[in-house]
Amino acid sequence: MHTETDTKAKVRNYIIESTFDDVEKIKDDTLIFEEGILDSMGLLFLIEFLQEEFNLTTSDEELVVENFQSINSIMTFIERKM
Amino acid sequence: MNTTRQPFSKDILHIDNIETVCNAIITKLKNDVGRTLQRRGAVIGISGGIDSSVCMALSAKAFGPNKVTAIMLPEQDSSDDSRLLAEKLAAKFDVKDTLVEDITKALDGFGCYQRRDDAIGRVITNFDPKVDKAKIEIKQDAASNLPPAFSVTVIKPNGEVISKLLPVKEYLQIVASTNFKQRSRMSMLYYHAERLHYAVIGTPNKHEVEQGFFVKYGDGGADVMPIGHLYKTQVYQLARHLGVPQEIIDRTPTTDTYTAEQTQEDFFYQMPFEEMDLIWYGWENDYPADEVAKVMDKTTQDIENIYKNFERKRKTTAYLRMRPIF
Repeated sequence: MHTETDTKAKVRNYIIESTFDDVEKIKDDTLIFEEGILDSMGLLFLIEFLQEEFNLTTSDEELVVENFQSINSIMTFIERKM
Repeated sequence: MNTTRQPFSKDILHIDNIETVCNAIITKLKNDVGRTLQRRGAVIGISGGIDSSVCMALSAKAFGPNKVTAIMLPEQDSSDDSRLLAEKLAAKFDVKDTLVEDITKALDGFGCYQRRDDAIGRVITNFDPKVDKAKIEIKQDAASNLPPAFSVTVIKPNGEVISKLLPVKEYLQIVASTNFKQRSRMSMLYYHAERLHYAVIGTPNKHEVEQGFFVKYGDGGADVMPIGHLYKTQVYQLARHLGVPQEIIDRTPTTDTYTAEQTQEDFFYQMPFEEMDLIWYGWENDYPADEVAKVMDKTTQDIENIYKNFERKRKTTAYLRMRPIF
C-alpha cells in the first residue's frame, strides 16, 4: 500500500536520480519537459518506472501532457489509475 | 545594416534562382571532393528516394557520370520498387558504374532481424515475423506538448492491426537492431570508396541532419553532404530542375527499414513536409508564432507547441551530431 507522500517521494527521487539534477530545482509544479529536465527518452524511462514501481501501464491515449507535465500531474495520473 | 526581412509566407522557401543554387552546390562538391578531400570521384548509395536521387544527379554533374559509382544496397525488407527506381535514375544520368550489394546476409550475421523480432515479440506476443509485417511509429500529434513516444504496429496477413506503446527496453533494442542496416550500408560504401579512392556522398537533407533523423556512423557517416542545408521542399525543387524521374518525385518518402510500409511522416516527423519546412523556417528565423499561425492556418498555441517540439528534437539528438570528445 502506497501513501500519497511515499508515492510523491518516489516519483521525485526517480526524476532527480535519473537526471542528476539539483533537488531544489525540481518543485512539484515544475514543468519537467518544458524546462528540458526530461526529454523523449526520459519520458519512455518514466513510463517504465511507473510500470515497475506501481504496476501502472500507460496507453497511447494517456500520452498527453496533462498526465506528465509535472510531479503534480504525474501524481494525479497515478491516483486515477490505482 | 538592413534589418528588414520578408514577411512570413508560404513561398518563403521557394528558390527563385534554382540554376544558380545548383551550380553553387556542384562547384562546392568539386572543390570539397577534389581539393579538400583529395579524392577522384564519388560513391553514393541510391535507394530510389528523393534525397539520394538528387545527390546522385548533382554528383554526376559535378564529377561526370564516369566518376560516379552508384550502389544499391537492398536487404530482405527493402521494397522491390526501390531497386527499379534506382536503376532508372542511374540510367537517366548516364551513371554506368552501378552495383547491387545485397546486405541481407551481413545483417543476418549481425542478428539484426532476430534481435529486432525478439523485441517486437516481447510486446506483441502473437507476432509471427515469417508472415506478419511490423513497423514503429509516433502516434502523437506534433503540436502535443509532450515528447514523442513510439508504438509498435503489427499487421497480420488477414489485415488485423495490433498496436502497442513500446516499453523503453524494447524500443531501444528495435532501433539498435535496425540501425545495423544503415551501418552495414555505410561499411559497404566505404569499401567501394576506398577501393576506388573516391569520397562517400552522404544524402541527408537539412531536417534529417538537424532533427537527428539519421543513424550515427550509418547514413550519418559520409565525407560530404551536398543537400544537408536544404529543406525537403527545396530538395524536390532541385529534383524537378535536375530532371530526376517523375516516379521518384511522386513517391511518398518511406524509411524502407521495416517490413510494414512506413512513411517518414509516421515514423518521425509527425506532419507533412510542406508544413514542417515552413514552420521550421519560422522557428529557425525567430518568426513570432502568431505570424506563422496565420499563414499556416493553425492556432498560435499549435505553432508554439511545434516550435517546442523542434527545439526538443534538436536538443535530444545533439549527441548524434557530436564528434568523439577527447
